[in-house]
Parts: sequence; structure tokens; C-alpha cells
Amino acid sequence: MWTTIFISGISLGSFYVLVALGFALIFGVTRNFNLAHGDLLVLAGYSAYWLWKAWAFPFVFTFPFAILVILLVSLGLQRLFSRLRDPIELNSIVLSFGVAILIQNSMLFFFSGNYRLIRVPILSQGIRISGFYVSYSQLTLLLLSLVTIGTLYMLMYRTYLGKALRATIQDKDAAALAGINVAAMGTLSFCIGAVLIGLAGPLYGCIHYLYPSTGHEATLLAITITIFAGVGRLNGILLAGWILGLAESLTVVLCGASWREMVSAVLLLTLLAFRPHGLLGKGEG
Amino acid sequence: MIFFTQKINPSEIKVYRVGLVLGFFVLIVLPLMVQSNDYILQVFTHALLLASLALAWNFLGVSGSISLGHAAFFGVGAYTSALLSLDQALSPWFTIPVAGLLATGLGLIMGLICLRLRGAYFALATLAFVEVPRVITDNWDALTRGSLGLVGISGLPTLRLGDWYVDFGSSITASYYLVFVYSFALLGLVAFVFRSNMGLAFQAIREEEIAAEAVGIQTNRYRLFCLLISAFFTGISGACYAHLVRYIEPSLVYGLHFSAIPMIFAVCGGRFTILGPALAAIVLYPVDQFIFHPLLPAGHEFLYGAILVLAVLFIPDGFLGRRQNA
Amino acid sequence: MTLLQLKSLSKTFNDCCALSNIDFTVSEGEIIGLVGPNGAGKTTLFNLICGRHRPSSGNILFNGIDITDLKPHSICRLGISRTFQSSRPFPQMSTLKNVLVGHIFSKGFSLHTTPDDVQIAKELLEIVGIAHKADIPAGQLTLSEQRRLDLARALATRPKLLLLDEVAAGFSPVLVKQAIQLINRVRERGVTLLIIDHFLNLSLKVSDRLLALDHGEKIAEGPPHTVMRNRDVLQAYLGLRHQDEEDM
Repeated sequence: MWTTIFISGISLGSFYVLVALGFALIFGVTRNFNLAHGDLLVLAGYSAYWLWKAWAFPFVFTFPFAILVILLVSLGLQRLFSRLRDPIELNSIVLSFGVAILIQNSMLFFFSGNYRLIRVPILSQGIRISGFYVSYSQLTLLLLSLVTIGTLYMLMYRTYLGKALRATIQDKDAAALAGINVAAMGTLSFCIGAVLIGLAGPLYGCIHYLYPSTGHEATLLAITITIFAGVGRLNGILLAGWILGLAESLTVVLCGASWREMVSAVLLLTLLAFRPHGLLGKGEG
Repeated sequence: MIFFTQKINPSEIKVYRVGLVLGFFVLIVLPLMVQSNDYILQVFTHALLLASLALAWNFLGVSGSISLGHAAFFGVGAYTSALLSLDQALSPWFTIPVAGLLATGLGLIMGLICLRLRGAYFALATLAFVEVPRVITDNWDALTRGSLGLVGISGLPTLRLGDWYVDFGSSITASYYLVFVYSFALLGLVAFVFRSNMGLAFQAIREEEIAAEAVGIQTNRYRLFCLLISAFFTGISGACYAHLVRYIEPSLVYGLHFSAIPMIFAVCGGRFTILGPALAAIVLYPVDQFIFHPLLPAGHEFLYGAILVLAVLFIPDGFLGRRQNA
Repeated sequence: MTLLQLKSLSKTFNDCCALSNIDFTVSEGEIIGLVGPNGAGKTTLFNLICGRHRPSSGNILFNGIDITDLKPHSICRLGISRTFQSSRPFPQMSTLKNVLVGHIFSKGFSLHTTPDDVQIAKELLEIVGIAHKADIPAGQLTLSEQRRLDLARALATRPKLLLLDEVAAGFSPVLVKQAIQLINRVRERGVTLLIIDHFLNLSLKVSDRLLALDHGEKIAEGPPHTVMRNRDVLQAYLGLRHQDEEDM
């Protein structure tokens, strides 16, 4: 039983990492909280669903399509965010809250409130590894997350562009003085975030029922992980995601599935109450 | 669009004042005006209830805090009153205030956890906070019937004075007037508090908290006070809602809808004004129900999202909060 | 009459020692200049006295009362007020209202503003010289006017001890002269003053005594001309060449 919890926790956690990375990157670079993040994920899922269902494309093609859709929406969103005045963090919350409602209602309009699911038969099958069953969807989640995180790591720590991004995250003004185009970094972070959501969305549509209001949950997860890892830092996101995934799996087994939704909320509240700058970030003076 | 300009021009003020007085009288005689149409009355009853909700939310908003989780108080209020009147057969005259008190208790808990935070982080904390009572209510089947919800809740109560009585739950018109009186009474309270020295303190706290403390304002106490009063009246509104629609379930009364709507009305109407939130509710909700709902049965609430985005970008202080000097 | 006593006051922020072992006494009616180069700990000292931060060790006594752990609003009620290095007016409130706020909340709770309150606020605006801008939102005032508003608002709380943080920074000689006149007027009202002056253009002319800090430590105290000849003070502000040191 513990191994099942572990496997499902890690794969779930890996998925959460994929979802949270974009959110954390955008926040780190632009100081914008995007409360529509989860709804963008659902939108990506719906886009994939539409391509798969209405146009009968094979599942793999839904990934580039979803990425394209979310890129367009994200760039539009970024234009809105760039017009915000101080205090940017709070105003971005209120703005994105409104955008989330817009996106939710659009999805409601186009797809109705019925639950949708993308059926990819191969993903529900699995393999046995030393006596334990792992489904292909869990494997895909794990592998995709690791590959993505690896790629992002390479970008952030091995390229000059990544250095510029990290500089902007640390100190926007200093980065600008050093000649970095801070606005372009912002746009780049939105684009990377969009790609990440575009990758996660179609998978989301396979493992989770799609309905317009389900994005809120994903947003809360992204927020929790970002704050857990340390606001503005990316290093701890993998660890944070896995811990959250494991905590949720444990809760499902011990208390029942319906208590799962409270785990991230309680975790976030505890973090904010005691260490708003994250467990791995620096504390307040 | 004249309504979205930054400065108010003087002619606008005149139109506005006339409109207010007219609107007030229309609301008083509305049931007579729409004799045959229960639906219109229901919409305006709901609009007035949302106005009271927005006013209650704004008690906290005026001190500078933005809460995205007020549905926690709304839901607790709704469930407390519904359960007490259902299971214990108590009159809503009793259960509604008790619901308010319980919501206040929850507000105290929220205050202890969240009030040390400011701005964005406070908002995020409230976003998480509402999940706790929601999931608990959803799962505590023995007490709350869980996700099935509660049906057959009694209507609004009856007022007895000697031989004369009026059953506010018996007709749409009676319910309308009770909610009308409640929301206007709340409006009066808001006006009194905001115009007093307390209102001055709220303004000082939200504009420059450090300076406010330095001149002797007990900022933490004032912020907690705002939160508790806000929670109380939100709970009362939730309780009224339960007796008005007579069916509630956790995902509804603890849902994003009742967290978002009062915030949107307050922000768009004017977070730091007396009338703003109520005005936004009375105007926007009927617009949503009468104009957009028939056009877009699914997705008509995009209106609220759109208006919030426009407000944040163009009139961040709200419609009535726009600067008066040219 | 001792008004303020600082006893072995220290403050550390995250391993960074901002103040160490400050001992100092202020008597009623004095004007004390708090001097020292950037980062010496002057504003930190103000923050400790006014309760914005808690000292890591040591005590602060005001009129014999231990105020070390009190919050800013309680300290204000006891009679200590301050202005800020970068002025902090309530930007959307009118200038008059800013001062009114200072007046109303430093006494007990009152529900409504009385005409007397307004009158007192107006008088304070007159004293600092910005009465003609009474109805303008404070955010629209010039820097010098905002500093004066800060002062009026602090005076409105009827302090016995007033802490002025860089009140004359960036001022031309004309404005410095006006500031000196203002400070003397404040002193005539019976207020004891503690003035931070990094540039020395004000405190040398107005103070009875100076307290010099460097790197969080007290390096000198006494009458201005004595302190300004003190070797450590000169070294902190100007630096001494090796030759000068030998000469001394």
C-alpha cells in the first residue's frame, strides 16, 4: 500500500510541478500573480479535447495545438498585466481573478458544464515493475515533468538567457541597469509558462474530468507550491510539488478522497501564517 | 464612455443625485409597479441581498484588505441558520443573528491566521481559507447532509405584533420588503461608521499604515474590527439567502460565486465609498439577469469578469471613487 | 529632568548588527542632534524608540516608564512622535485632514470630529506655513511642504518628545533657515527634540548637544563644537590620512 501511495504521490506531484513552474516563473520575473493560471490549464485541456473530439486528431497533435492556444491567450493576458499600477502584486490578483471569470464563462459557453474526458486507451494501461503496478499515464506524467524540469534547468542555469531571467527574478531594477530588457524577460516568462501549461493541459484532460470551474483547484495548487518553494525561487518547486503530491495521496488513503481538496489549502495557510517567504526562502528580518 | 473617465464632471453629479433619489423611490414601489411579475421581484430581491453582501464585504475592503474568501462567512451563516431552523425548529428571527455570530467567530479565526499578512498575501490566504469550512461542511454528513445539501428550509420569518402579523416568507413581495429594509439599514450603518472618526482611521490605515500607527491609531485592532463586522453581516446575508431560496449545498454557498460577487461589486462601485458597492449590485445584477442571461444562458456571468478587469485597469477606485477635483 | 533614557540598547537584523550598546540620556527641553554617516544606525535608533522595531537587548525609559516593548500607537499616546525620512503623508487625504488625524487619535476615542479639532489642525498648519494648501490632497504637495506636513501632523499628537528624521535633507540654505525658525518655534511650545541630521547643515546650528554614531556604536556625545572636533567623528565623516593620524 505504501508503494502505491508513493507512486501515485510522486506522479501526481510531478504533474503539480509542471503546473506550478509556469506560475512561479511568471511571478518571479514580473511579480504578477496569475489567478487565471488554473483556468488556462483547463482551457488547454478543452482545446486538446476539441481537436481530439471534433476533428479526430490523434492525441499527440493536441499538444502543439494547446500550446499555441495558450500562447495566444497568455500574450494577451500579459498586455493587460503590463498596464497595472502599484501595488502590482495585489492588483494582478484582482485583475487575474476577473480574467479567470472571463475564461471560465467562455468555456461554459463553448463546451457547456458537462464533464468531458479525453480517452486515450493506452494511457490507462500500465506495466508491472517488481510487483507494483504503474499506469502509463503516471509514467508519462513523471517522465514529462522530469524532462521539462530538466530542460528548464538547462535553460535557466546553462544559457545566457537563463541568467538574464534569474537576474530579473532577483532584482528587476538592477537587471535593468545591467542592460537586460526586463519587459522582454516578462514576455518570455509568460511564453515559457504558456508552453508548460500547453503541455500539461492535454494530460490533464485525460486524467481528470474537464468542467469549467475546475481550474480554481489547480490555481490554488500552483500558489501553494510557489510559496512553499520560496516566492521567486524555482529550485524548491520539484521538492514542493512532490511533497504536496505525497501529502494528498496520503490523505486520500487515510481520510478519503473528499478531503483531498483541503490539503493544499491548509498547507498554504500554514505557510502564509508562519513563513510567507517560503520554507526555503529567507525569513523576515 | 463617460462613466469610465478618471474625473467626475459637475453635471454628472447632478444627474447622479437625481438618479439616486428616483431609484430609491422606484425600489420602494417596485412590487406595485410589477404586480403580475414575480420574476422581476425575485431578481431585485436577490439584487438587494447581494447589495447587503457587497456592503458587508466592503467593511473589510475599506481598511485596505481584499478578501477573496468571504464565501466562508456566507456559507457558515447559511448553514447555521438552515440547520438550526430545520433540526431545532427555531425561528429565523433567532437563527439568523446566531448565524451572524458564528460567522463572526470564524472571522476571528481568519483574523488570527491572516491579519498578520498584508495586501496580496492576505488575499491569497483568504483564497485558501474558504476551502476549510467548505470541505468540512461537505464531509460532515451527519451534521450537514454533506454534498446533498439541505432542502425544505423554512422561509423568512413571521413578525407578530399582537393580533397583527406579516409572514415574510409567504410571498415574494413580503420577502422583498424584508430584504429591502435589511439592506437599507445596513447602508445606514455603513454611512454612520464611515463618516465618523472610525472612517478616518480606516482611510489612514489603508493609505499609510506605518504613519497611522505613529499617530496613535491601533491599526491591528481596527483591522480586526473591520473583519469581524464584515464577517457578521456576511453571515447574516448568508442566512437570509438560505431562507430565501430554501435550498443550499456546500459548493454553492461556499463557492467562488459568493466570494467573487461582493468583491467585484465593491471594487467596481467604489471600495472606499459608502454607496458604491450597493449601487453596483442594484445596477449590475439586474443587468446580468435581464439582459445577458437571456442572451447567453451559459456564460452570462462573463459580465462580472469583464467589469472587474475594466475597473482594475481604468477606474481602480471604483465608479463612485473617482476623483472629484478636475 | 530626564525625559528619555537609553540603556545598553542593541539591535541586530539577521546577523547584521545595526546598533550596539547605546547608552544615552535626554533631558527635558533639550535639542539633541543625532549625527553620523550613512548606515550608522540613526533611523534604526528612531525605530526602536518609537516601537516600530523591538530592540535585541537593552531598555528604553520614557519619563521613568519602560517603553521597550510597547507598540507605536501606545508610544504615541505616551507622548513621543516622529517624522519620517521619506515623508509619509496620507496621500488622498487633504492636508488639513492629515493633521486632523494626528490630533484625533492621540487622545482617547472620540466618535466625531468637532469644530475645535478642526480649528486646532488649522492652527498647526499655520505654524508650519502650509495653511494655504489646507484642502489639497497631501500627495500633491512639494517635498518641502510634505516635510512640513509631517511635522504638523506629529505636533498634532501633542508630543513631549519629537523625533525628526532628516527634516532638512536636500534643503537649500534658505529652506534650512526656515527649518531652524520652525524648530525653535516647536521648542517654545515645550517640546524636546531629537533630530537626525546626516548632512549636518541643521543640527550644528540648532542643537544643545550632539550624539554621534558610527557603525551602530556611540562614538561621541557633547556640545556640537566638541563633538565635531572629536577624532573618531572626523574619521567617520571625512576619513583621515595616515599622515594626519601621526600628526595627531
